[in-house]
Amino acid sequence: MESGNPLLDDYVLGLCTAERPRVCFLPQASGDADHYIVRFYRAFAATRCEASHISLFRREQGPDDLRRHLLSQDLIYVGGGSVVSLLGVWKAHGIDAILREAWEAGVILCGLSAGSLCWFAEAVSGFHGAPKRLEGLGLLPFSNCVHYERKSDRRESYHRFLREGMRPGYAAEDGAALHFVGQELSRVVASRPEARGYRLDVSGQRVVEMRIATTYLGERGVVPEAALPEALSTALPAA
Amino acid sequence: MVRRILTLGGHDFTSRPPDRAVCEFLLRLASEHGGARPRICILPTASGDTSDLIASFYQAFGNRPCEPSDVSLFRLGRRPMALRDHLLSQDLIYVGGGSMVNLLAVWEAHDIAGILSLAWHRGIVLAGQSAGAMCWFEAGITKSSGKPLAAAGLGLLRGSLCVHYNNEPERRAAYLEAVGDGMPDGYGLDDHAGLLWEGEDSPSAVTARRGARAYRVSKREGEVVESPLPVRFLPAPAPAALREDIAEFRRIKTMRRHAGWLG
Repeated sequence: MESGNPLLDDYVLGLCTAERPRVCFLPQASGDADHYIVRFYRAFAATRCEASHISLFRREQGPDDLRRHLLSQDLIYVGGGSVVSLLGVWKAHGIDAILREAWEAGVILCGLSAGSLCWFAEAVSGFHGAPKRLEGLGLLPFSNCVHYERKSDRRESYHRFLREGMRPGYAAEDGAALHFVGQELSRVVASRPEARGYRLDVSGQRVVEMRIATTYLGERGVVPEAALPEALSTALPAA
Repeated sequence: MVRRILTLGGHDFTSRPPDRAVCEFLLRLASEHGGARPRICILPTASGDTSDLIASFYQAFGNRPCEPSDVSLFRLGRRPMALRDHLLSQDLIYVGGGSMVNLLAVWEAHDIAGILSLAWHRGIVLAGQSAGAMCWFEAGITKSSGKPLAAAGLGLLRGSLCVHYNNEPERRAAYLEAVGDGMPDGYGLDDHAGLLWEGEDSPSAVTARRGARAYRVSKREGEVVESPLPVRFLPAPAPAALREDIAEFRRIKTMRRHAGWLG
């Protein structure tokens, strides 16, 4: 749902095997903001999928049986915003357990920003003040940091958290997407040529940042098949 | 330090007289704590921080003698603030309506409840309508899941509250049933009716609309009884002077109507 750039939306829809995939948007991290829901329906147009959304702030609209609705989807898309608020609201409505069930049943889960952080065991959240360390749903046993741009607060804080014992994990710059199959990273794709994903580990007190070969989705004819070991060989250790 | 909470059964931030009267009362309570230019902050969490609500709040308070602000727990940090310091520097914290379940869940996730309790003990006025009123009690009746259901609140105030009392009959019915089934006794508030708590006991009832009522709802010998409370009427202040162009527009509209142009 990048504005004016459908590459990542196309990519994730392409992962669905159904001819007209069922896609449900969860905008809770934004407080179910109207303008965001409209953006979703524009990006996931009825011509190529069967789109729906769940609002947990206006339950009088939308499906009654949240579990049944979510389990019947091909793809669940989680929007950005505050990951802390997102996880709080989900817990109150039992959505966290339903999403785990959906994932185990093979529903593709996806999301950006807060909608990425939420799937991991630990996350770096930047919100009202210095970035904080928090626990996510833990479907993926790693840490995660988004908006991982050079000189960002988050990047700096992520490195500090790692030195302080946060588990190793993955970071993504804006426009880059980490694609996991099961709990394994399968590939990194991007909607912008320069965007990259990173693997982060700690060796003693040293944070080791490895840049992962990233497939830019914009060039026609490119088969997105960057296998991971090869990708890691291009890695750059960080200071 | 007197601990004050104003719990309101329902209102909007429009320019209609009852809504203006509520805002005037909020402003007065804030001034009693903060002087001539009190700080008033809205927590619109229960609505998901909708821009409509935030805008109408600023519209209501922007031209009044106060410093309005808002705290968003959803929008990401273009304007990051030290939440705790900001809230504790207010004279009045106003909590908007919406989903009571989501409100409390998000507050818990951000550790807001402790800050609000501290604010209350320091004499900062707490206020709110609908979900933003029920949240201070032990329990309320929420429609967060569609149907009216009981939900737990923060419990700063003992007992329970049901809002929109005569405005939403199904909510009132669910409340009467819940109290019959053992929910703590409490209060029912119509839209534009409120309870001003000074300390934890004997609130005084106020109303900004003729006919809006406040009820004590309690279980006596197995029966749930509603007793209307005596209410003090809050007058609406005179509307702000109309801008000249708007006044001109209205004059023309009235003339046209009289001339029959609009049927």
